[in-house]
Amino acid sequence: MKLRRIPALLFLILQIPIVAAFAWSYTSLSPESQRQVRRLVVAKPQGVEIPLERDAALEIAPLYDDPQLVSDQELAAVLKQIVPRFPAKKLKPNHVEHALRAWHVEAKFQDPEALSGEMMRDFLIDYRRFAASWQPETDSEIQPDPLLQEHPDNGVYVKWGRESNAASVHHDHLLACLTEAGLPLSQPVFTPNRQGLTFRDVLRQALRDFRYDERETEWSVMAFGLWLAPVTKSWRLTDGREMSFDMLAQRLLRGHKKIGSCGGTHRLYSLTVLLRLDEQYDILSDDVQKSVFQHLETVRDILKVSQFEDGHWPYNWSAGEDAVKKSDASIPIFRHVIATGHHLEWLSIAPESLHPPREQLRKAAAWVIERTVAMSETEMLDNYTFFSHVGNSLAMWRKTTPSKFWMEWEKMHPFEPKPKPITEPKPTVNVTPGKPGLSTEKH
Amino acid sequence: MTGVMNPPQPARAESVPPTQFADASMLEGKVPASVKASRTTAGFALALGLLYLFLSYRPLWHTDLWGHLAYGRLIVGMKSLPTTEPLMPLARGVPFINSAWLSQVIGFEAMNRLGVTSLMFLYASSITGMAGLLVWRGYHRSQSAMITLVGLFLWLWGCWQHLKIVRPQMAGILCFVLLLTLLTARHRRTWHWIAVPALFVAWANLHGSFVVGLMLLAGMAFGRGLELAVRCGEVRAIWRDSRVRRYVLMLELAAAAVLLNPYGVRLYAEVFSVANHPNVAELTEWGPLQLRMAQGQATAVIALLLIVLYRLSPRRVTAAEVLLLFGFGAAALWSSRMLVWWVPIAVTFGMQHAGAIWHQWHSYSKTLLPAPRHGRWSVITVGILWICFAFTPFGGRVLHGTEGKLKLEKMVSRETPLGVIDHLKTQADQNRLPHGQMFNTYEWGDYLLWAGPKRLKVFLASHVHLVPREVWNDYVAISNVASGWEEILDRYGVNLIVLDLATHSPLIGRLRDNENWRQTYSDNVGAVFVRRKAI
Repeated sequence: MKLRRIPALLFLILQIPIVAAFAWSYTSLSPESQRQVRRLVVAKPQGVEIPLERDAALEIAPLYDDPQLVSDQELAAVLKQIVPRFPAKKLKPNHVEHALRAWHVEAKFQDPEALSGEMMRDFLIDYRRFAASWQPETDSEIQPDPLLQEHPDNGVYVKWGRESNAASVHHDHLLACLTEAGLPLSQPVFTPNRQGLTFRDVLRQALRDFRYDERETEWSVMAFGLWLAPVTKSWRLTDGREMSFDMLAQRLLRGHKKIGSCGGTHRLYSLTVLLRLDEQYDILSDDVQKSVFQHLETVRDILKVSQFEDGHWPYNWSAGEDAVKKSDASIPIFRHVIATGHHLEWLSIAPESLHPPREQLRKAAAWVIERTVAMSETEMLDNYTFFSHVGNSLAMWRKTTPSKFWMEWEKMHPFEPKPKPITEPKPTVNVTPGKPGLSTEKH
Repeated sequence: MTGVMNPPQPARAESVPPTQFADASMLEGKVPASVKASRTTAGFALALGLLYLFLSYRPLWHTDLWGHLAYGRLIVGMKSLPTTEPLMPLARGVPFINSAWLSQVIGFEAMNRLGVTSLMFLYASSITGMAGLLVWRGYHRSQSAMITLVGLFLWLWGCWQHLKIVRPQMAGILCFVLLLTLLTARHRRTWHWIAVPALFVAWANLHGSFVVGLMLLAGMAFGRGLELAVRCGEVRAIWRDSRVRRYVLMLELAAAAVLLNPYGVRLYAEVFSVANHPNVAELTEWGPLQLRMAQGQATAVIALLLIVLYRLSPRRVTAAEVLLLFGFGAAALWSSRMLVWWVPIAVTFGMQHAGAIWHQWHSYSKTLLPAPRHGRWSVITVGILWICFAFTPFGGRVLHGTEGKLKLEKMVSRETPLGVIDHLKTQADQNRLPHGQMFNTYEWGDYLLWAGPKRLKVFLASHVHLVPREVWNDYVAISNVASGWEEILDRYGVNLIVLDLATHSPLIGRLRDNENWRQTYSDNVGAVFVRRKAI
């Protein structure tokens, strides 16, 4: 039969197998491939729904109670310094995130000027509270940009970046802080226009917009670990990239140890979180677990040789012995506080085999306690974020949390209001090397 | 009676009358008419043979080819297709839809079994094949050898920038030219219904450019429909037209045939996403066509010639021609890589119109007679082809079983980092190769993947659509010695840097002056640096 002329009926009949071929091909694809095809057809990214079965995040419990490292009195003195007393106007989300992370939602203070855990939580997740703090006094019509923003895919995007004080500073830092502060996924969150949103939508959006090669992944990794393990060990990003805890760990292992926020110490904390989760839930392959452990062992060895005589670890701790031998006087002291406080923090949840000798830890604690207690109120406000880590880490070294300890402490030592000064003291601004000073650095 | 018997006498040659020679006219008549060739055929065979000979001695390009061979090696080794990018550590987990898997396997198997010269053969024969198809169609429609050869030259000139790079796209272009040849045939054949879908099955597995073929079919169908709608003034005419139905059905069958690949309908999604990938858009060859480019100048000449030809041509200009020329032309202006699809269309249509003009001008003075066919021209044609094949490196390999005297240095382009690879291998053998991430010139990534030591962690190679956007941006920043380039190297934990002189001399200069880096090798094409204190 010659098919040079095609009858109309034959033409129409042939449409059936052709359409069927495409339908068959589509249905035989994997769900991920189908998602990629849909993405092309509707010309918009197709979100990946990762099962989130738990309402409460996993917790990494502290391992040690060492009163020789920090006594009750010392801990109380440090925690007193980091009680969240922030100005009501233009309240920085970065400060509140750090405070909430350290103090948790259940925190309550006898000091009427201090923000309770619930107040801090509400500031971060309720637009009305946030707007009240950031609304310009001159024009009540202007609505400030929300911290939590509605996303077209029913997610909640957290505004972040260093351009504005009214935003979270690091990607997924707010998510990680709320996670560590004990917020459940069912917790309602309030954006300017949409109702019925919960913290689950914040996490979902974070999973959607996570980029493996973005500059800072420390907080995303920690939050994903605490929410996804052990049910979900591998998943896909919006761009289709396969993800696993092995890959997240390898991402944190990548690069020079000095790289990352706070002199690279947040990477260590997140790696230790993964290690602890792996211990319990086997989320890492043996090879990657070994690599993480070896990496932290190397850090331990560096810490052994990079500690100064007075007990602090320098900000350039990763230089090892050279950091001490060729001491860099240009580094402001608040940076050493960052390094020392953060090292004490990750070490408090790390296995003992990853610790430098306990004596070194105690020296470091003594140094950082002394520095913290010496801070004036104004200095503390400007450097709050760094010192919140100090308070948290020292509480963990007593196998407790700042809020638990403080609320017990206040039962025995009730709050005494300070006599109001006649004139406001002029804030001390001192950024000269070697002395405590104010930093303009966002952490 | 004597019993003497005469011994048997051997048959004597003299018994055949010396005057009875074979009848030459009888011999001549034995050659079947279908294989008789004309002088023109022999001429074309000579032209194509010389082209093949020239291409067979062209060095293999130092970029894409080697990466594709590395993927081919992996597929053959695994006996399956990887689902995520397997060779670039920084692209780990990125979904990998390998639209060129069959080309890669063919290339690797050829290389593995027959050596490097087989790649030269594949390269030369695929381009010669395209040229042969264009010549066939051009001569068939123009009946002028001169016009055909001019068309062939213009095609080579316009596409040369792309044709000199050996990669699976060659197979795609060959499929495209074959499809174009079928679609521009004077007569529609029944076997086209099998040939076209079969072509698309092969094409979809050889290279992702099958979409261009679908566009060609769609252009033909739409053009024909448009023509009918304008001419008849009613849309129903389109539905009644058998040619429209033929083109549409062929397009549908071709689109369905594409589904016969390991990824099914997802291959479509992949092809479109690669074309729109921001990394790809930043490559020069995907950038817009410019007049200062050699291929831009060639395109301008072809376009001007087309204008003249269309002005003078007595042939009716079809809507499909206009649509295809403008559609593919616009695409080529948008992205110079699309030029390889526009030029064959332009040349094919150009040859048709040039032929029409030629015959119009000569119709009063000359009577057109077909060139006489003769068996001896068939023998000459075969002889030319054989000679052109035998004198190539691959011919030598087939006939003599050896690669001959041709050294690897002569078979690959001058920019291929042979010395760098030797150095890295020596370092690896002596266990002195730094661990961790390597930073390398993008153009060399493929060769490093193919020939470098096994534990080399290549930063990126020519499959840039698989490279995460942030990694690509960081690559560009380091390459341009942008602010913070050293910190970026720290972030990736780079301990080894391999750079070419052609594109990275500023960075090489900075590294030579940098106390953190030590140069361990350099030659006239590149340099190797090692971090003094490994991360």
